[in-house]
Amino acid sequence: MAQNRRRFLTGAGVAGLTTLAGCVGGFGEDADTEFNVGMIYASGGLGDNSFNDMAQSGIEDAQDEFDLSYDQAEPDDEGEFDGHQRDFAEGGEYDLITCVGFAQEDALAENAPEYPDQNFMIIDTAGIEEDNVRNYVFDEPGGSFQVGHLAGLLTAEEFSAGDGETNPDEDVVGFVGGVESPLIESFEAGFTAGVEYANDDAEVISSYVGDFNDTSGGQEAALSMYQDHGADIVFHAAGATGVGVFQAAESEGRFAIGVDSDQSLEEEDYADVILASMVKRVDEAVYTAVESIVNDEFEGGETEELGLEDGGVEAVYGDTIGDEIPDEITEQVDQSRQELIDGEIEVPDDPDDV
Amino acid sequence: MRQRLEALLERLVRASIVERIAISIAALFASILVGGVLVFVSGAFASCQTGLNVAGWTFCYNPMQVYYELFLGALGHPLEGGWSPGNHRLATTLQQTTLLIFTGLSFAVAYRAGLFNIGTQGQLVVGGLATAVTVVYASLVVPSGVVGTVVLIPLGVLAGAVAGGFFGAIPGALKAYADANEVITTIMLNFVAVGITSTLLSWQFQDPDSPNPGTRRIPEYAEIPNIPLVGFSSRANFSLLALAFAIALMIGIAWLLARTSFGYELRTSGVQPEAAAYSGVDEKRMIVTSMTLSGALGGIGGALWVLMQHGRWLESVPPLGFDGIAVSILAANNPLGIGVSALLFGVLDSGSSAIGTATAVPPELVGILSGLIILFVAMPEFFRMIGTRYVEVGSSDLVRTDGGELAEDGATADDGGERDD
Repeated sequence: MAQNRRRFLTGAGVAGLTTLAGCVGGFGEDADTEFNVGMIYASGGLGDNSFNDMAQSGIEDAQDEFDLSYDQAEPDDEGEFDGHQRDFAEGGEYDLITCVGFAQEDALAENAPEYPDQNFMIIDTAGIEEDNVRNYVFDEPGGSFQVGHLAGLLTAEEFSAGDGETNPDEDVVGFVGGVESPLIESFEAGFTAGVEYANDDAEVISSYVGDFNDTSGGQEAALSMYQDHGADIVFHAAGATGVGVFQAAESEGRFAIGVDSDQSLEEEDYADVILASMVKRVDEAVYTAVESIVNDEFEGGETEELGLEDGGVEAVYGDTIGDEIPDEITEQVDQSRQELIDGEIEVPDDPDDV
Repeated sequence: MRQRLEALLERLVRASIVERIAISIAALFASILVGGVLVFVSGAFASCQTGLNVAGWTFCYNPMQVYYELFLGALGHPLEGGWSPGNHRLATTLQQTTLLIFTGLSFAVAYRAGLFNIGTQGQLVVGGLATAVTVVYASLVVPSGVVGTVVLIPLGVLAGAVAGGFFGAIPGALKAYADANEVITTIMLNFVAVGITSTLLSWQFQDPDSPNPGTRRIPEYAEIPNIPLVGFSSRANFSLLALAFAIALMIGIAWLLARTSFGYELRTSGVQPEAAAYSGVDEKRMIVTSMTLSGALGGIGGALWVLMQHGRWLESVPPLGFDGIAVSILAANNPLGIGVSALLFGVLDSGSSAIGTATAVPPELVGILSGLIILFVAMPEFFRMIGTRYVEVGSSDLVRTDGGELAEDGATADDGGERDD
């Protein structure tokens, strides 16, 4: 009896292992495509309806266009960037590795020379001068100046639209940043400069939550701006933390300005309070880089700057309430855009220089 | 019904070491079965290019492939061609294993003394910063090259141990002299650790050339070196020397607990503090000492995190200290078992990222799979720990069946009864 059982177990075990080996391939694998891209997102992760999702939509656009597949990694914290970059680079099976976010600069600066045949692109930093890395940067101060100009003009007006209204008693607007770093500070600098350009009397209060993924932190920061300081418009550059800013605007009946993507479309629940978004075409950067790989025109060691002129950054009015912004205001914003492009207005990238 | 449950529990409590290992392996397979079904069904709700079509549904995820990647991917796919033992996946697995051995030991030492040290994370954070800062500044005066390596690495580990030990001694002293519950104080001190270190960082130690919050890099010769030829490539951020150190420390702690009079007093304090006090153990001093030892182990974990993995201290510290709790519980707080359970956690960690790159399964789902494995494997041990409360353990008969001849197993038997307090 025991022997039978043992024989059965051995037989079943062997059969099981064989099936197992056979099944490991088969479905669920990546389709066989000509090009392969590895995506490493910033630590906020996918689903932020902002920075990372923009990068993903860029690679999805490219996938529709080219014979392409992609794999992605969502690191939890900064320490993981290095490992994920090496994961992708080690096998040599990716034509391009996309590093989303300035925080990957340290890790990539070390890894790029280790894998000289691997093409990388990095978004939001110009710091890597390796031949196999193409840097993409955006004119954040310019784009933020635009929404700052809009906010500065509107805060002085008596304006209501959707679920929000301005506070005509005080000319105060707010800025909520994610992590205090030169990049995010350049948003603040541009925004503040724009507000002051519009309205000398206006005051900008700024606050850094310290995290790109802390919705309640963003909500608290914005609530205190709306309630304690009488702010009526808050601009955020804080990834998923910014959703908290929208929640606060909604509950206080004030306005908010989104960032990176047109957030009145991405965050539909808050479309009634999103005046505009400072759109940063991260998708465009990813798409262009992939296109250059496909066409065999990839040039590393260079920095590509996407600005107001080519639509790399722009102020996009909210889908729901954007139309209600008075024409004389949008005209002024359009005018300052032209002046920025022509270089008639200089925008600082450090808040201390405003 | 109740009787049958009791009988089952009693059988579990009295299970031999072989039976317990068999139960763990069976639990592992059960978790794979449950997780596999979960992955397969989840695949029906995802969209993909190549799926398995069954009755109008498209199943996107292949559970076989997922578990293949989880376990064999973590070793660098040994069944496929071109495998070398020095591959970088295996390096990542062993790197995590090494770090988790320290944090697991940290929790185990306190637990065996009857203390819940939830503060290993904080001790690791503080120890890591102390290591990085000490090495960065010491490297200004210590000559570079081999001398630097020989001086700086022990110095760094020592700094981590001292800082972590000090940070662990605080809740120990609070417990001993102010009767403050160590669970509460250690949890709170985790936040204090994060606050202190991030303040120190922005005040003095931030690397001005880096966009990420972290200290300056330690010089390359101060990173734990690889053994030439047999070791892993220098890119891998893993050193066999570090693993050897972890294993040596693990054996050392097992010996300390099982074979020394200090270990005996520590264990007795855990099982029956009154008896320990009666036999002459200074209870307060024992609490502080064991917490200090526990904290020092956590601090060494932080030191190795700096010296081996990153070469600098980063403000965002992964939850190694919290994982160490699970590692230790899974090993029934037996120092030698911690090596095995740390390896399991290392495999799960590195295998998860292998799944991420090889399949379209979202990381959240992979997290559930790892969680299921840990839950299933830990549950029998957990019920056993509860069961020892209800089943009569007073008879010496139990200790013999449960423990066997080995001294460290005898120690295992002890922790059965220690939740009396």
